[in-house]
Amino acid sequence: MNDQITTDPSKPAQRMRAGSLTLTLAPWIISAVFLAILPQIFTNNSTLTIMNQMSITIVFALAYNMLLGQGGMLSFGHAVYAGVGGFAAMHIMNMSDFFASIPLVVLPVFAGLFGMGLAMIVGSFSTRGAGTVFAMISLGVGELIAACSVIIVAFFGGEGGVSGDRTYAQPFFGVEFLQQIEVYYLTAAWVIISAALMYLWSRTPVGRMANAVRDNPERAEFLGYSARWVRFYSFVASGFFAGVSGGLFAINYEILTEENLNTASSGVILLVTFLGGVGYFFGPIIGAIVFTLLQTVLSLSTELWAIYAGSLFLATVMFFPGGFAGLIMMHVAPFKLGKLRLLIMPYIKTLIPAAIGILGLAALVEMTFHVRHAAAGDNEMTLFWTTFDSHSLIAWAIAGAVTLIGLGIARVTAPSLKEAWDEANTAGGAS
Amino acid sequence: MSTPALELSGLKKSFGKAEIIRGIDLSIGKAERHAIIGPNGAGKSTLFNLITARFAPTAGTVKLHGENLAGLEPYQINRKGLSRSFQITNIFPKMSVFENVRCALLWSQGYKYSFWNLVSRSRLLTEGADAILEQINLLERRDLPAGTLSYAEQRALEIGITIAGGADVIMLDEPTAGMSNTETDYITDLILKVTAGKTLIMVEHDMGVVFGLADRISVLVYGEIIATGAPADVRADPKVQEAYLGAALEAEH
Repeated sequence: MNDQITTDPSKPAQRMRAGSLTLTLAPWIISAVFLAILPQIFTNNSTLTIMNQMSITIVFALAYNMLLGQGGMLSFGHAVYAGVGGFAAMHIMNMSDFFASIPLVVLPVFAGLFGMGLAMIVGSFSTRGAGTVFAMISLGVGELIAACSVIIVAFFGGEGGVSGDRTYAQPFFGVEFLQQIEVYYLTAAWVIISAALMYLWSRTPVGRMANAVRDNPERAEFLGYSARWVRFYSFVASGFFAGVSGGLFAINYEILTEENLNTASSGVILLVTFLGGVGYFFGPIIGAIVFTLLQTVLSLSTELWAIYAGSLFLATVMFFPGGFAGLIMMHVAPFKLGKLRLLIMPYIKTLIPAAIGILGLAALVEMTFHVRHAAAGDNEMTLFWTTFDSHSLIAWAIAGAVTLIGLGIARVTAPSLKEAWDEANTAGGAS
Repeated sequence: MSTPALELSGLKKSFGKAEIIRGIDLSIGKAERHAIIGPNGAGKSTLFNLITARFAPTAGTVKLHGENLAGLEPYQINRKGLSRSFQITNIFPKMSVFENVRCALLWSQGYKYSFWNLVSRSRLLTEGADAILEQINLLERRDLPAGTLSYAEQRALEIGITIAGGADVIMLDEPTAGMSNTETDYITDLILKVTAGKTLIMVEHDMGVVFGLADRISVLVYGEIIATGAPADVRADPKVQEAYLGAALEAEH
């Protein structure tokens, strides 16, 4: 076999490696630059808060996907590791002498170590299998620790949670993190670092074997790897980065409560990750951005945002199991064939009417909600910058017609979109 | 030929009251190509699973290079130089063909559970995996998801994964099952090529493959080995002809 290696110097492989190095570095540099200039575009504090929220969710979702997407482990209690990391960070904040001796920027490391420690304990018995048993143990442990939060008041602070003050840390090059923008840059730096480390992890032997164990644990065992240990290492690494996200949360909000580690939060992160797409590394990033926007921006305009988020999740699971990332990557094949432009017109013809129809449907939902829940006599409502009487027949007729016509057109044009899609994915022909 | 590569003594396996393997003694020498044949339900795959610790034996011992394997996990046995394929194709379907082979190389190249090495940085890994792909003629399929390969290609990939780790005892469970004649010839040549100088133990139904490949043959019927020997002797053995071979040979002609 040795002589084959020398007679086959695989030059193409080396060329590819050099090319892929610039290719793999590019997204990171672009992201870093983008995060650096973002505050110049959006200057107000509330936008910064949303962006920080996004960053925290990105780290958490990426950590979660180390289990779900890369390791094939479905966890229903992963908020626990983020939460415990966050609580630990809060306690460090409150240890005034120690806290004054460390810069705030390293606090997430401590949070990560606590998340990791807990993951080591739980992982030691939960990673034996990846299927239902793992999911049930994660759920059980999640509930258990969430229940502990009202029992072990010393650590979890009971119902009021634990609060602290980040500014007591040792100043970092003179920065005391009094201002939101300073916290923004701290969080942004941690997102880039964590995401890069998690990406690198997926390229290491143990990260590659996590995929192998996900696909076929038995075969992996016959390659010399214990499926259980591979899962354990993934679990511990995921616990570390979940803890880091908890530490970032602690720095941003300076308070942690039971909400940070309950099952609802664990459910949200599953939703976020799946929405973005578990099959690709960048999937959870998209999921975190979209979900945070829904949660913050949409919730400003409607009380019913959770219905829309839920519907979106449902639609994703049913029609696009690859999530947003899968949807994007579906277009790589047409792009490589040079046939992407074939899709532009069919997309316009189908997606715009569909979007209008969905907005019409949303209007009907909102009107129903207004009729049922507004104070008696308050018939006036504002929707899409229009103020009208929610009890008037005309408003209902318009919304209903828009819905029917929009979805109707989309339905009629859908077959031609399908045709265009098949054509765009077939090699050959005029292009 | 001092210590045999693989030595089974008094191996038994029962599932409940059903005795599937009823006491097998078998010694396979180094660099020997040994085929295990027998009618359906004779316990051939069970025997394989006992040797590789997929099942625990009810009684008896399995020794690899003189070392007792009792109580070891499959991954520990693999590290001692025994590798196997499966009757049902058993690859990593969502990973690329190249990744499949590279994963099979990781442990033998000493990477263990490390998270401080990047797999793409190792020339030895990349070139080793490409060399295996060339041996099994899948270099052109390198970057496709393994699950999209044709059946014969997946079987070839499985053999590639099995031999990649450099194990010196290779066990193949019906490598040509469900293949056309040309595919069978192709896989037979492949097996000859990649197992040169290694100990090969295979379960096989195709008599052409068995007589073409094997140095020695064992015939397993109802959990017992009724004959072991060179192909010609086994073919001539009246017990074998009665139990199995006659019918199979007749069917073939």
